[in-house]
Amino acid sequence: MLSFSARHTDSFVERTWRRLTESLVIVVALAWAAVAAAAPVHTPHVEAELLAERTALVPGEPLTVALRLRMAPGWHVYWQNPGDSGVPTTIAWDLPAGIAAGPIQWPAPRALPAGPLINYGYEGEVLHLVELAVPASLAAVGTQTLRARVDWLVCKEACIPESVELGLTLPAAASAEANPASATTIAATRRALPRALAGWQASAAGQGTSITLRLAPPTGAGDPGTLRFFPFAERQIEASAPQTLARAGNTYLLTLPVASDLAGPLPRLNGVLTASGTLGEAVTAATLDLPLAGHVVPGARPDLATTTPVGPHPSPAAAALTLWLAALSALAGGLLLNLMPCVFPVLSIKVLGFATHDDRPSTLHKEAFAYATGVVLTFVALGLALFALRAAGEQLGWGFQLQSPVVVTALAALFFVLALNLSGVFEFGQFAPASLIGLSARRRSLDAFAAGVLAVVVASPCTAPFMGAALGFALAGSAWVTLLVFAALGIGMALPYVLLACFPGWRQHLPRPGAWLGRFKQLLAYPLYATVIWLVWVLGAQTDNDSVVRLLLALLGIGFALWAWRILREGGTRLWAAAIAVALLGVALVAWPLLTGSHEVRVNTPKGTGTAATSDSEWEAFTPTRLAELSGAGRTVFVDFTAAWCVTCQVNKRLVLNDGEIRSAFAHKQVALLRADWTRRDPAITQALTALGRSGVPVYVLYRPGREPLLLPEVLQRQTVLAALAPL
Amino acid sequence: MSTRMATIGLVLAILAGTASAQAPGAAAPAFTINDTAGKPVALADFKGKYVVLEWTNPECPFVQKHYVSKNMQGLQKEWSERGVVWLSINSTNANHSEFKTGPEVANWMRAQGSAQKATLLDSSSATGRAYAAKTTPQMFVIDPAGTVIYNGAIDDKRSTNPADVKGASNYVRAALSEALAGKPVTVASTSPYGCSVKY
Repeated sequence: MLSFSARHTDSFVERTWRRLTESLVIVVALAWAAVAAAAPVHTPHVEAELLAERTALVPGEPLTVALRLRMAPGWHVYWQNPGDSGVPTTIAWDLPAGIAAGPIQWPAPRALPAGPLINYGYEGEVLHLVELAVPASLAAVGTQTLRARVDWLVCKEACIPESVELGLTLPAAASAEANPASATTIAATRRALPRALAGWQASAAGQGTSITLRLAPPTGAGDPGTLRFFPFAERQIEASAPQTLARAGNTYLLTLPVASDLAGPLPRLNGVLTASGTLGEAVTAATLDLPLAGHVVPGARPDLATTTPVGPHPSPAAAALTLWLAALSALAGGLLLNLMPCVFPVLSIKVLGFATHDDRPSTLHKEAFAYATGVVLTFVALGLALFALRAAGEQLGWGFQLQSPVVVTALAALFFVLALNLSGVFEFGQFAPASLIGLSARRRSLDAFAAGVLAVVVASPCTAPFMGAALGFALAGSAWVTLLVFAALGIGMALPYVLLACFPGWRQHLPRPGAWLGRFKQLLAYPLYATVIWLVWVLGAQTDNDSVVRLLLALLGIGFALWAWRILREGGTRLWAAAIAVALLGVALVAWPLLTGSHEVRVNTPKGTGTAATSDSEWEAFTPTRLAELSGAGRTVFVDFTAAWCVTCQVNKRLVLNDGEIRSAFAHKQVALLRADWTRRDPAITQALTALGRSGVPVYVLYRPGREPLLLPEVLQRQTVLAALAPL
Repeated sequence: MSTRMATIGLVLAILAGTASAQAPGAAAPAFTINDTAGKPVALADFKGKYVVLEWTNPECPFVQKHYVSKNMQGLQKEWSERGVVWLSINSTNANHSEFKTGPEVANWMRAQGSAQKATLLDSSSATGRAYAAKTTPQMFVIDPAGTVIYNGAIDDKRSTNPADVKGASNYVRAALSEALAGKPVTVASTSPYGCSVKY
């Protein structure tokens, strides 16, 4: 490591001398190795090598060589315009007589935030292609060595200038073949190089401190997603001020902030346009060279008090998740769902069903498969519905079902019915002993499929922790990504049941069915009653006292009707049928206003956020404006993204956020506390979540002045919060 | 989709907030920051004098270039003798791994033989933000009326190589020479180069 820790006590001269000698030793040693074997050269943060596209230098034929740089994780090098800071990589060639090198063909850069500043550069691996002109006069015998001194600045938190000598020895021959080791990557890099934007109609107009790029796609073009413009030259566009994208009819309008240190008049706009979606078939970056109409003046200095989002999805969490990691964490989240208080009772009955009747393995397998299908399909359907609604412009996220009082009411009724069933107030028809024996395999499969659907429905209030990042990732991606992540969630949830069905040996360890089973079922009813109480509380937070009473009356009617139904089945008189009818009519009348969706469109209003969740005095209601005000004043802000229907949120709030030590730590560090209550739909909160790469609650985030927002885990620990506050 | 984009734009616009301007010709934002010994220093203390603000970070190789080559110390001496107040400001945030305490920065500066009026610790980064300082080094020249007359790079050789100081055209010297001779500053703004300020 050539950088030095902040606490180093050596004299600066000593350190600099050591740094220089170390660099020199590395350069000399590795340069020699490189020339001899053309092996990659390693510096502490970068691996560098030269690659040739073809196997030999052919007189009169150009040859493409590539400088391949692979940076250590988190480190980056710079584009031709480095943005707010940094310097571009340079190559100084030392070539055999007659051979001439062209300029670096720069791949499209990325916007890399450094606190509130934005740099343009590359992370991971990048290939810089250079075309060499080989003269016809070159003798086609022997070998030639291409040498290059390459200088770059590689930065993470610290910046380190590095310099290496690279070499590549190639035969000179009358003909050459594609180099199997590098031709494919070089060709792929070349294909991805930004070229003039084709098919689109583009124009640029300046007015005052902003430039509007008008981009009209050709008919049938795909969604370009997030667009960003990178100017080739500095002092034209302010790197750290946001570029905003709007749409007027068929045309995209990208507004660019003029640089505060604008260098003279700006007659043309030259640069690279990148898209998170598509700009054409397999095109995500293109060059623009447009005359600039109108007149521009230097823009305002960027406001460095707030961290500039790079796009709608700049979250470090979302960017860090790969598709497979997201699928894997969805799988784990699905597994965990089985243990949630709303699911566990329902599923344990299903599993205990194995113990009660001895089936042939094939029947069990079929049933498990049907159950898994039900779970996965329901999750996929929910995921795609959510994706479609978001694509249609709805500001929704995971848990959106529970933002609707209709769904909460229906779930409360469903849980109540399931609980009464477990309590033994009534029995479902198929559980009657007579019908059980005669049940056909087909019917059993259908039953299992329905159980799968039901399991997902009852699981939806209990979104497991650890699912947040995966779901955020799923919804930020394409429909296919959504499909895959939600399917993984379903597979995770169905997995224990399927495994139990496939390996029936575990059944020997279960106690034989008996009286205990009935009591166990009755015991399991109580978590479900608790779930009902909680859903009633959620409805209260969403609507009002009247709705709560209506729901409770409806539950009373349902309970009575089911009890009456049991008596009727046990041979009661017709009077009981009449009683059932009256009770159900009463339920319908009482519950009607809850189900017609008269509350459906109630969206949070600033006044309407005074629910139970925000009544604590230290907490203010979240709005983007309030967050910007507090950040602008240099305050550290903690935001609790929560909802009444989110169990994890409530547990965290009671056990951690309301803890005396935590509260005094917040007060001591003068952290401003904002609570974003997502119990009802709130587009502003949905957007704030999207900006963090999440699509559901809970999310806990510490906005520190000038630094990346710090996301805390979804399952909060007191120590975690205290540790996050300690350095403030 | 379009309403969503528009709303996102609106939120970004709100987040961007009101920007402060330190372009040449703008008033230099006031500040009071502690020096490395903990003594508060205010820009207002030097009203009526030319002031140079040098954004610095001892850990940055671009800063090291100008101290190893004695370029920065030379400028500090040269212009302090002519009555210019030279303030070095380290805006490295106290949370950043490259943060140095007052005594550490003071020791480093002493080892370099620096000759500025004061070295200031902007450990909350507030002054760096107010000036929208982007790199270390980045230089500001403020005239006796408190107006920014130069903002940008120290010179025109964007590198970390101390040997490049020779033969570079120094923008700060040029701006101060012109200003002290009563002439308008020809190059009043350049693109600063260096490490990012560690906000």
